[in-house]
Amino acid sequence: MLIAEAVGQQYRETGWFGVLFTAILVTFILINIRRAKGGKDLYIRRIAGLNAIDEAVGRATEMGRPVLMVPGLSDTVNAIAVQAVNIFAYVSRLAARFANPILLCCYNAAVYTLAQEVIRDVYQEEGLLDRYDPDSVRFVSDRQFAFAAGVSGLILREQTAATFFLGEFYAEALIFAETANSIGAIQVASSTEATQTPFFIAACDYVLIGDEFYAASAYLTRQPVLVGSLVGQDWCKLLVLGSILLGTLVNTSYVQSRTTKSWDDEKAEYGDVSERQNSAKQSIVQQLATPLLSKMPVERPLDPNAPVEDK
Amino acid sequence: MAKNDPIPQPIKPSMSLAEKLTSLPKFYLYIILIFFSSAPLFINVTVPNKPLESSIDLYATLMSVKPGETVLVASDWTNSTRGESWGQFNSVMRILMRRGVNVVLYSTGDAQAPRVAQDSIAKLNKERLAKGEPEYKRWENFVSVGFFSSGEAATNGMATNVKATFAGRKDFAPGRGLTDVYESPILKGREKIENFPLLIVITGSKTSNITVERLSGKVPIAFTVTGVMGPETGNFYQSGQIVGFASGLKGLYDLEGLMENGVNVPGKDGQIVIKSEKYPKIDGFPGQPNAGQGSRYYPTLHFAVALLILAVIIGNVGMFLARKGAK
Amino acid sequence: MNLILQSKTVNFWAQPYGSSTLWAYLFGALIFGILVFVGLMFMPAQFRRPVVAFCTFIAGAYWVLLYAWPAPIDLQPNELPQGPVEGVGAWLKDANPVVVGMTGIITAFMLGLGIFSLLSIHLRKIRRQQRDWPFSVVLLVSMVAMVSFGYADYFSRQGPDGTKLDLQANWGLANYGRDLLFDGLLQQMDAAMFSVIAFYILSAAYRAFRIRSVEATILLSTALLVMLSLMGAVAYISEQTINGLVSSTGNDFFLNFTLTEVAGWVRRTFETSSLRGIAFGVGIGALAMGLRIWLSLEKSGGNA
Repeated sequence: MLIAEAVGQQYRETGWFGVLFTAILVTFILINIRRAKGGKDLYIRRIAGLNAIDEAVGRATEMGRPVLMVPGLSDTVNAIAVQAVNIFAYVSRLAARFANPILLCCYNAAVYTLAQEVIRDVYQEEGLLDRYDPDSVRFVSDRQFAFAAGVSGLILREQTAATFFLGEFYAEALIFAETANSIGAIQVASSTEATQTPFFIAACDYVLIGDEFYAASAYLTRQPVLVGSLVGQDWCKLLVLGSILLGTLVNTSYVQSRTTKSWDDEKAEYGDVSERQNSAKQSIVQQLATPLLSKMPVERPLDPNAPVEDK
Repeated sequence: MAKNDPIPQPIKPSMSLAEKLTSLPKFYLYIILIFFSSAPLFINVTVPNKPLESSIDLYATLMSVKPGETVLVASDWTNSTRGESWGQFNSVMRILMRRGVNVVLYSTGDAQAPRVAQDSIAKLNKERLAKGEPEYKRWENFVSVGFFSSGEAATNGMATNVKATFAGRKDFAPGRGLTDVYESPILKGREKIENFPLLIVITGSKTSNITVERLSGKVPIAFTVTGVMGPETGNFYQSGQIVGFASGLKGLYDLEGLMENGVNVPGKDGQIVIKSEKYPKIDGFPGQPNAGQGSRYYPTLHFAVALLILAVIIGNVGMFLARKGAK
Repeated sequence: MNLILQSKTVNFWAQPYGSSTLWAYLFGALIFGILVFVGLMFMPAQFRRPVVAFCTFIAGAYWVLLYAWPAPIDLQPNELPQGPVEGVGAWLKDANPVVVGMTGIITAFMLGLGIFSLLSIHLRKIRRQQRDWPFSVVLLVSMVAMVSFGYADYFSRQGPDGTKLDLQANWGLANYGRDLLFDGLLQQMDAAMFSVIAFYILSAAYRAFRIRSVEATILLSTALLVMLSLMGAVAYISEQTINGLVSSTGNDFFLNFTLTEVAGWVRRTFETSSLRGIAFGVGIGALAMGLRIWLSLEKSGGNA
């Protein structure tokens, strides 16, 4: 077997478990994407924050005030930023149809580039390219609090009626939320940082917690790929839950057996209980967990081009 | 009604207690907060404190690093979180400097962070020189590797090969100008992450998660984080992925207390101030400048939290009175 | 200033400085880059998506392979990898610093794009004297000043005596200027903005923390407990009270009810498990999202 022959560094001891687990998660997601593409109707529960998007954009249109969107403070174009921009594409599509101005404030120049392209494409697909204002998508600053000050100023000056804060937020989350609250804007927020979720819950109208953020694009668009992926994620969570339960049971029974097993059999071998518990002798669990072990490679040839290190 | 009679104004009903309590102007709340937060700064108050186990573990780990060793310090904070992070950085650096441990500074969190860290070291050096202690010199005692724009990629690289990740990074060597950091004596022979006895991350952002994901198990990791990050950092501590951490002002105050009193060390009255069953005696640094931001701001935290609780109580009392009145 | 990295190790990604192979690589990369650039400029629109998908797949494939491909065990710098599997593993590992460097370069170019956006918006505002145009002047002047003093400070530290500037006594105008703008202005303004959060927390707590339901009551009482445990004075008083109770009753069981113990129990049980649950969900969501982006299954700009 290729891996056994090579015995990679990451597969040694219990490392193979992480790779295998990841492979299983990936398989679940791909299987469900295939199922969804095959026409199977998959259920997603109601998420209040996402239902409120239409309401928020409608309210902004009635009041004649713009919609503000902030895709978070991602340092690079990562999965979170892409997801946020995808959701904002949906929001922009609604706003474009109602001729409602939008403001998309970007923290990162790469996200700004991506957002500009996506939003322009949205207007083009709707046949409303004349309504697209290039300045509606703007790079504000890549300094956290300079960005916070800039966006807060925009909220107060433009008197936005609906604000969407979706993505990676840190300490500035409450600044945005309270500023928007002070002008009576309807707010939908989500932070992938669990530390900021409580602040959003205290200050915003609707909050998406944890992976409801990742479910948003599937929920809004009902694209088979996205819905299938979401169901695959749920299978993964069930697998994680099962692993935790199994691990708890095995660990408990293992400890139980180690501490309550009769002394008479092992008194001669060990001095006391702690010595037995700390024994290097491998248990069955440990033996199962280390199948691909330290089969070291044969002696390697030396590299003639290698630099000689100064000692 | 005569032409010049004043126009009768509608009679405004006076606000009930419930309405007053539920609609306090924010201005007055802010004024009270300013007063409550500032007052302790003018009063010297020592607050009794029992350090958390995580803070004691952090202190014990820092004190176990041998003099002359080199540790990695990821300084991922800037002055926006200096209320907590600056004090934490100062305390960690004071401990390392006093023990003669060398430091490799790098950052993955913010482009400003390396400059902020170096400015802090300059201030600590000023403090050391004032006490007649030797200066902590760039190149001989610490080097600054700089900022890595992609934290994930850089930490992945460090997990594989630190020397290759730091390749091309330069710092100022005395008499030579910008020189490859691996020519510094403190980095000689330390090519892999396993060659470092400790990695300390001082952060207010997600770089803690990124570090644990990629380097846990390869090198002992310790954190000092802002108070808001304390709960999620506790996860890593409880699962054994990090060896200790200090969270927020409380953690900083713990650290300063440990530096002053040590662990299981009898005080002047013979009583042990900070007890721990887990560790033997660990000395502190009595008589040296240990009190910093933690000692200055911890009383303020008390007042601020008390005011927060009071505001919540007032709001709820007003809500109950309003409900009662409505019935 | 030498722009070419002089690496001491030699591998596929790092050739000896000044060697003909290195120059061949540089020249080849330049020609390839120009060809790609020209090709992309004149490419028909229907090929745009497949090209983007291909580039995304290659970029993601590197990280997937780095994770999954068996890495050589304890390969020393002076050893050659044994066999094709170790060879590929070593090649992937050696590419890591190059990829890290690439992300830095791309970030720098993206920053230039961001600066261009700022300049175009604010210069237009000044030219047309739109609303609040003086603030645009302030922004541009600040940007130019910070860049100028920053570079002047950086260049002043080059050379053999650069480390002397670690001491303030040796500073010149450029160093004082950088210090005033960075430490004196930018850092203080950053800290002031962060401090504003304290006021917002107070007003949010006053407005939002109301006992409207059973869940809200549980939430609020737990929050109160944890907040009180952060106050050392209160925790001390509770501990003294419980200690008094223990000494009067002789029952150590009451030690479990000190404020610190109860708050610690809440943190260890409810808080940790909830945060772990959220972290699992977010992690799996990020994995799924990453997978969709890598395989270009994600169709952006969803239909409303």
